[in-house]
Amino acid sequence: MTPQELVVRMLPPFGGWLALAALALPGGSPLRGAAVVLFLAAGPGAAVVRVCAPVLGARPAEGPVERRDPNFARHSDLLERLMLTLFLSVGAVMLVATVLIATHTFSAQRVLLTLTLLTTLTAFCPPLRASPQPRTTPRTPKGSAQ
Amino acid sequence: MRPPVTPRERSTPEPTPARDGANTPAGGPETASQSSSPSSSESSSPAHEPVTDLSDLPPAWSGRRALAWPGVPLLVALALWAYAVRHTDVSRLDDYGLVSALHPAFWAGLVVLTTGFFLTVRDARRPGAWSAAYVLGLLVMERATQAVLYPTPLYAWAWKHEAVIDHLLTAGGLQTADQVGDMAVYDQWPGFFAAQAALQRLLGVDSTAMYMAWWPLVSSLMLLLPLLLIYRTFTEDRRLIWTAVWLFYVANWVGQDYFSPQSVAYALHVGVLAVVLRRFGRSAVRRGQPRQAVWTVVITVMVVAIVISHQLTPGMLVVCLLALCLSRRYRDWVPVVTTVVIFLAWCLTAALPFLSAAMPDMIRSIGDVGANVETGYGATPTGTGAIMTSWAARLLSGSVLLLAAVGVWRQRVLRHRARPLLLVAAAPLPMFAASSYGSEMIFRVLLFMLPGAAFFAAAALLPKVRTLAADAAAQEAGERQATGPARARRWGTGTWVPLAALLGTTLAFVPAYSGKDRINYFPPQEVALVRQLFDQAPDGSLVVAANRNYPDAYADYWSVDHYWFLDDGRSHVDRIVRKPAATLARDMAGVERPARAYFLLTQGQLANSEMNGQLDRAQLERIQKSVAASPRFRLVAENSAGWLYVLKQSGGAER
Repeated sequence: MTPQELVVRMLPPFGGWLALAALALPGGSPLRGAAVVLFLAAGPGAAVVRVCAPVLGARPAEGPVERRDPNFARHSDLLERLMLTLFLSVGAVMLVATVLIATHTFSAQRVLLTLTLLTTLTAFCPPLRASPQPRTTPRTPKGSAQ
Repeated sequence: MRPPVTPRERSTPEPTPARDGANTPAGGPETASQSSSPSSSESSSPAHEPVTDLSDLPPAWSGRRALAWPGVPLLVALALWAYAVRHTDVSRLDDYGLVSALHPAFWAGLVVLTTGFFLTVRDARRPGAWSAAYVLGLLVMERATQAVLYPTPLYAWAWKHEAVIDHLLTAGGLQTADQVGDMAVYDQWPGFFAAQAALQRLLGVDSTAMYMAWWPLVSSLMLLLPLLLIYRTFTEDRRLIWTAVWLFYVANWVGQDYFSPQSVAYALHVGVLAVVLRRFGRSAVRRGQPRQAVWTVVITVMVVAIVISHQLTPGMLVVCLLALCLSRRYRDWVPVVTTVVIFLAWCLTAALPFLSAAMPDMIRSIGDVGANVETGYGATPTGTGAIMTSWAARLLSGSVLLLAAVGVWRQRVLRHRARPLLLVAAAPLPMFAASSYGSEMIFRVLLFMLPGAAFFAAAALLPKVRTLAADAAAQEAGERQATGPARARRWGTGTWVPLAALLGTTLAFVPAYSGKDRINYFPPQEVALVRQLFDQAPDGSLVVAANRNYPDAYADYWSVDHYWFLDDGRSHVDRIVRKPAATLARDMAGVERPARAYFLLTQGQLANSEMNGQLDRAQLERIQKSVAASPRFRLVAENSAGWLYVLKQSGGAER
């Protein structure tokens, strides 16, 4: 694992622990707000996307018929990862908070701690491996001449 | 490096290449498919080359200056906006809301921004980042202006949601109708509120009112990535992608971007659609590459977040996914089955109490399209300002839908390629027959149609898209067009009409979105007056007001009761108008000590009643004067934004 990969892997949980530490700052402090919002908006999702990255990119996405820009698909994939990072994080925050509220065990610190622990756990998971491509010979369409 | 043309595409008759807009792509069928190219390979067109569109014209400036040119109008627009917000006074709003209060520099800034965007996005030489910068500039001017101008958050509904979060934090758990009455519905879809409760505490602020004024900007930004992904699934044309994004934002005036579960659920809904459109198509499956199961897990997380947050959005998502299944390309039942299962699981467990109570009404409204649509306009705009802004909103929506229809009709190739998006745009329409959704179904349907409608509306403003084969045929035929006529067309109809349409829709957004700010804005004095009430109201108290359009109307709703008399039957309202103090005192009787009964009349209630065709200012002031003169009431507080009275109580029981 290269140092760069290690940083990418450990950044989300580090953000979570940093946000937890930032709770020691006074309420309403911009630093506290930035640490909390950044982690809640990106941390859990970034950890999940890193683990799933090989599988997510195993198959090319649907795209436009025209293919003029060789980088177009790559940029779209990048935008997709960003979107998933945000939405999976938002989804995780809503789910964890709802579970804690529904079980009458809610506290904001518990929400943050749970998300940080989950993110840390995810960061230690190895990337998922894409299922191998089936070796199939192209089928001849029905009725076509061979 | 173009992939093979799909069998479906091959089977479709090719549209005839348009003579007047014919393009001659440099790379033949393998590299070009549209009448003009946004690709960098066409970054300069020598004078003798065929020119078919602005993007093919040689740059007026060269080098870095040309690349940086779009920054000039963008900075000018933002400077004008900054100047305008510093010189706009919102303390005396009239019936036109923010429209008449805004400094003229704001309008000039919006014109400069839109024109700059139009010229930038149509020029293929500009880096795509400039289009993004313009859209962000638009979001700042559209969605941050109110947050900067008004010292308090807008919308009584946003204040209501703040009260729900306060309730969750106070109760520490979900409650039932036995404990909180009708408001228990929020405890049955708590996702957004639970997350906001956590955020409020983690930020260490007293209330979400500290940041909820900025939510329209935040929720609009959340939509940017999924929108881009959806549009990038069907075209590489940067002009089409960014113009569609622009039109989406200017047509999204319906006000569901405020601090609400709908705002987040909607962003997630568009996100699910983006994933399904990109990852659940069948072309790759046909190539022997099965979809990875992880994508189902990804949409499951997003769908669960939607389902636990909002009632309507899962239904809209189901109809959109079902519509997608109508196209052969997306006939994959996994997303729709996943959504239906999760939705049903939630409805049959956590949300069952609300649904079982509301089901008879919901069943009655099914099929009653007239009532479901008509009640959307039920609150009759009254007064020149309210009527004008209401018509501006309708015209804006009508124009964008009309443009979308023109785009569908005119862009034959795009209609074929982006048929799934067309289905997604049309899918919400049957929901008219399903429910009135509290008189708002017409607005919600419009909201959920917008991602698809904006794409085709943008297509109406751009040159015709042609098939790959048509481009190849055009090249083989040696179809060329001289530079001269193209230069002459540079500022022809093909430029002015789209520019005018873009300017018109962008400017119309302001009255549509903020033309009713006299209703939606509550000055700090009004907030202070209401807070004074709740600071002293003992548990079990009753607050009587004309309507619920005031800040903190639902504060302490778990311990304080409310009566909004304009919600009552017409005959009773008439009785209150005839004998205000006596009737109200009778309505407020029965509140036992130590609880108290308060009468609150504020500026927000007056504006809402007056501009929606209920009681006018004279009638409401007559009620206030009657209460003020009555010996049964005592004035508790008064300021420039309203009055607060308490019903006098004698002995142990209220009479």
